[in-house]
Amino acid sequence: MTNVLDTQGVSKKFSGIMAVHDLSISVDAGESVGLIGPNGAGKTTFFNCVLGVLRVNAGVVRLAGDDVTEMPVHARARRGIGRTFQRIELFAESTVREHLLIAERTRRRDGGLWKDLIGRGRPRADEIAKCDEVLELLGLRDVADEPIEHLSLGQGRLVEVGRALMTDPKLLLLDEPTSGLDRQETADLAITLRAVQEHRQFAILLVEHDVEFVSSFTQRSYVLDFGQLIASGPTQDVLRDPQVRAAYLGVEEISS
Amino acid sequence: MTLAATLGSDLLRALLQGTPPGTVYALIALGFVLTYKTSGVFNLAFGAQASISAAMYYKAHTDWRWPILPALIVSVFVLAPGVGLLLERLVFRHLRTASSVAKIVVTLGLSIAVPSIFELVFQFQGVAGRTPEGIVPNGAGVYYDPFGVYPFSRNELMTMAVAVTAMLGLAALFKFSALGLQMRAVVESPRMTELNGIRADRVSALSWALSSSFAGMAGVLIAPRFNTLAAPDFFNLVVVAIAAAVLGKLVSLPRALVGGFCLGWIIALLGTFLPRWSRTQTWLRPFQENLTPSVPFLVLFGVLVFWPAIRRAREASDPLSGVDPPPSSVGSGARGASRPRFSRVIGLALLVGIGVIVFIRADTSWIFLVTQAVVMSTIYLSVTVITGLAGQISLCQGTFAAIGGFTVFQLADRHGVSVLLAAVIGAVIAAAVGAVLSLPVLRLGGVWTAVATLAFAYLFDSVLVKISWICGGGTSLLQGTRVPRPVVGPWDFADDRSFLVLTVIVFIVVAFAVTQIRSGTVGRTLSAISGSEVAAESIGISPARARVTAFAVSAFIAGLGGALLSIHQRNVNYGSNFSPFAALFWLVLVVSLGARTVQGAAQAGAAFSLFDTLILRGTFMGWILRSSKRIPEIFPINPKWRFVFFGLGTIQFARHPEGLVEHGKRQMRRRVDALRKRRTGSGGSIDDASPVSTPQPSSEPSNETDTAVVPVGETTR
Repeated sequence: MTNVLDTQGVSKKFSGIMAVHDLSISVDAGESVGLIGPNGAGKTTFFNCVLGVLRVNAGVVRLAGDDVTEMPVHARARRGIGRTFQRIELFAESTVREHLLIAERTRRRDGGLWKDLIGRGRPRADEIAKCDEVLELLGLRDVADEPIEHLSLGQGRLVEVGRALMTDPKLLLLDEPTSGLDRQETADLAITLRAVQEHRQFAILLVEHDVEFVSSFTQRSYVLDFGQLIASGPTQDVLRDPQVRAAYLGVEEISS
Repeated sequence: MTLAATLGSDLLRALLQGTPPGTVYALIALGFVLTYKTSGVFNLAFGAQASISAAMYYKAHTDWRWPILPALIVSVFVLAPGVGLLLERLVFRHLRTASSVAKIVVTLGLSIAVPSIFELVFQFQGVAGRTPEGIVPNGAGVYYDPFGVYPFSRNELMTMAVAVTAMLGLAALFKFSALGLQMRAVVESPRMTELNGIRADRVSALSWALSSSFAGMAGVLIAPRFNTLAAPDFFNLVVVAIAAAVLGKLVSLPRALVGGFCLGWIIALLGTFLPRWSRTQTWLRPFQENLTPSVPFLVLFGVLVFWPAIRRAREASDPLSGVDPPPSSVGSGARGASRPRFSRVIGLALLVGIGVIVFIRADTSWIFLVTQAVVMSTIYLSVTVITGLAGQISLCQGTFAAIGGFTVFQLADRHGVSVLLAAVIGAVIAAAVGAVLSLPVLRLGGVWTAVATLAFAYLFDSVLVKISWICGGGTSLLQGTRVPRPVVGPWDFADDRSFLVLTVIVFIVVAFAVTQIRSGTVGRTLSAISGSEVAAESIGISPARARVTAFAVSAFIAGLGGALLSIHQRNVNYGSNFSPFAALFWLVLVVSLGARTVQGAAQAGAAFSLFDTLILRGTFMGWILRSSKRIPEIFPINPKWRFVFFGLGTIQFARHPEGLVEHGKRQMRRRVDALRKRRTGSGGSIDDASPVSTPQPSSEPSNETDTAVVPVGETTR
């Protein structure tokens, strides 16, 4: 089985501080992998290195076997990395469906100035049908024509997922998807995500603080501390690792 | 004398000569950086603030014959800080959470409104021929020559003395007083300072007053050098200030100071040595002839193009800048085709009706004004594309339009190409220039796009316009840049009525194209980028490519409109039509009335050409009263009021980027909806029922913004 994502010795320095040091991870097609660690462990930095928001100081990032280390964000996105944001990033003054439409257009690289000018830039029936299919999957069908200002935070996050799905990602990076959500919303999100993943077959790399969410959602996890990998393996085992408990959960035992 | 000795004394002379203007530039740069850092406002109205102090000083000293000292005190120490305080209190304090682009638009509006308000209040005319005086008696007539190479005038010596005193005063304030300490803290991080119990508002108000007096002082000091009291000339000052501040990386006051001095020296050095080189290198001549105006723009443009890291200067400075709620985005596709069809039909019918009446009944002067309105509306559609769709502020739309106009002049008048073909070629050239210009500008974004395009506009204005193969050169000064009217088959557009028809057709075609783009892929892509650039990138959109397209399309439209305007006036009339300051008013007009819709552009065009005649001269009032004799006394109103109206109109842009008209319509629609709901008894409006409130940019970040609301727009990266 080929790795969807494969990083080799990725390092990132910020004015002398090693935010990520020599990190090598891999994600297989279709699996869900967690990336956990205490605040400031370098999770977000690593995320940004994978996405292309930050350039690595050393190391290689491979997407489905291709070296993308030097590529800008949008080029990597076209090669199959989708993402959601910790602090929701939606397009102001667009409806839910419009978010998906523009992603679909971008994926197909269909349309441009000339097509717009001759009047073929308007959304077509097949595009709308494709968007609605995804909206149905995410349970957003009812709010398809709502401007995103009217959505709840949980719905907003699902719109982000839907938008990313329209690009046909091989790998979806979720940046703390539960942040700001209450218990019920978190549970709903987990159910929806799992259903969608089963349906569309993509891998997930998840940065998350909510231990319950991580352990229920992922098969494997990597644990970072001070920019270094301190543990990896099946999530349940990793969370039981004393070193991980010391670094991430605090030294004291947690009853659960 | 040996060559080396001559070179040495030349060098010394240039340095001495460059020092007095250098001190003034440093003064301006200091004031500029002070406001920028304490309030985050990239204050392009700085030149306007300088100009009113200079004008006040002139008014008091020369017109009212006040002695120097009271005139100076009133203009620099009363008026200038007063204006600074007012601007902070009434305008910018409420815009703290607005996006930096929105703030810059407000400062543009102010730089048009503030001098006009002053001129209206004090009945002042900044026309040529009224030479400003310095702050010492007989300042331009008495010289001292301490080094035997360059004689300083009394004005220059006084300038240096005052500027250096002001700088030392600022340094002392920062170093030794508690207030200075607080100010330095606010410069580092306004949020952090507030958390420590210091009212950043008060500190920021004070720094506005302070920087405004710096602007005023610089204005008074430089007026004799400038030999002018016209506000547009002082607008250059702000570009000089930015150039100096950019040389100082925009982060520190001392570096801005050094940057100002460097600029003064560079100009003087080039002034000394360029004439020698240009004897052999003739292409240098246009630069040599317009040195002082062009160097700052060259420096600024060069820095922005070759040193894009500059844009990160501020973002990195406030560690808590991410705390503020995200600002509303500037550009976006206008949604909401919810307007009932019949009201649209009625509107269209009304417009056609007026058009027919104008076409049949109007006399030559009215036809002229209406044609101008249509052509300006076409040009304004270019602002709709770049600002309304792409969310970028471009200050060189006038330059693009001028390129269109000059191309028609060159091709039609000199090479006999068909006029309409020449107009299209002009538009294509403008598009190409726009695309090339956008390449370096792209990496900058936000405020820097505005600054880079402004620098380009002034570069064109001060250098390129003088080159023969672009704008006609020497002969065109005497003969004018003649542009013929087209003749197509049986139609001779020399007739004003048929030309009006032509312009209306062009406007409709361009407007249709803009709406197609807006609802098509390009429009959606641009709307996504201005909604959230990071999110757009995350789905594979290349913001750079989309923006090149936007710039090219916008430049094409501006070029086409500029060509039409020149054909209409049968002359390019660069100075009155397309100069950077004239083009500023375009932007101000469009964003006040509505940058997102075709309707907004049309209204701006109508306002540009008809507002004065129709409203301010009381013609419209006369029609209502059905007699031109019963027009009330207050008419005619001074045409400067339109600068005040629309200049101040930009203030609401920061809160309601959709523009005055669109905002008014939305308010009205909301009220009508509410009324209808109450009638049918279905209770509150949708907004009340929805679980989350709409994110409104408010001056005070409320708690709910952090938790419940879906934040829209860019976060800090």
